[in-house]
Amino acid sequence: MRENIKLSRRGFIKATGAVCSAVLMSGAIPGLLKPVMAAEEQIDIKDALKKLFGDKKIETGHVDLDVPIIAENGAVVPVTITSDLPMAADNYVKNIYVFSEGNLNPFVAKIGLTSVNAKAEIATRIKMRKTSNVRAVVETSKGNLYQNMKEVKVTVGGCGG
Amino acid sequence: MAEIGKIMIKVPGAIKKGDVIPVKAMVVHPMETGQRKDAKTGNLIPEHYINDVKVYYGSDLVTSMEWGIAVSTNPFITFYLKADKAAPLKIMFKDNKGGAFEQTVQVNPQ
Repeated sequence: MRENIKLSRRGFIKATGAVCSAVLMSGAIPGLLKPVMAAEEQIDIKDALKKLFGDKKIETGHVDLDVPIIAENGAVVPVTITSDLPMAADNYVKNIYVFSEGNLNPFVAKIGLTSVNAKAEIATRIKMRKTSNVRAVVETSKGNLYQNMKEVKVTVGGCGG
Repeated sequence: MAEIGKIMIKVPGAIKKGDVIPVKAMVVHPMETGQRKDAKTGNLIPEHYINDVKVYYGSDLVTSMEWGIAVSTNPFITFYLKADKAAPLKIMFKDNKGGAFEQTVQVNPQ
């Protein structure tokens, strides 16, 4: 009798363990976001910025970045970027760039605005591969660059996550 | 994904001329990164993502966007617009496989 209980308990642990690792290996939990990654090169944020802006200096300030401190789901991270810079016909925020530094390719999006937008604010949802900085760079029509960045902790769900 | 390319655009109902209004748009799209494996076959699912977005207010191109693979599935975007004329607001999405989707709403400031 006792032996039976032991066996069944062992069996239970074995079974749950098997299910757990099967789920982990399949990498297919819906909405779980750490997709099985291909062995690709990580592009460094410095290189990504250099490619877009050359050696131009990027100032700090004039960019407000609203991101969660912790993102439970790395596939859907809400990002809001606002700038207090003018949106006049002859001087406006021309581009807002969004980067997720831990992604293989940190570039997420470039949003080109005009003075008709009247307000330099955009919101979207981005994918983050892992805990890293989200960086916003604002480019004015006069060619000045401003930035802000914040770390977002990406928690990965699943067994033992 | 039968509804791929379905677009929803939301603008406020009552607008006064000159108001700066939020425009919210969502488009149904898988936004495949090219880094995800098919659970059954183990093969990489090819990239399939929207990379080009254009917003026209009347005949003016007011906002244009370039997106990479890291914009979330079923992309959602909010931006602002100064509603200074009664005109159609058209948003056009294009993806890397030649898919093109558009939707128009009327902006009617009083």
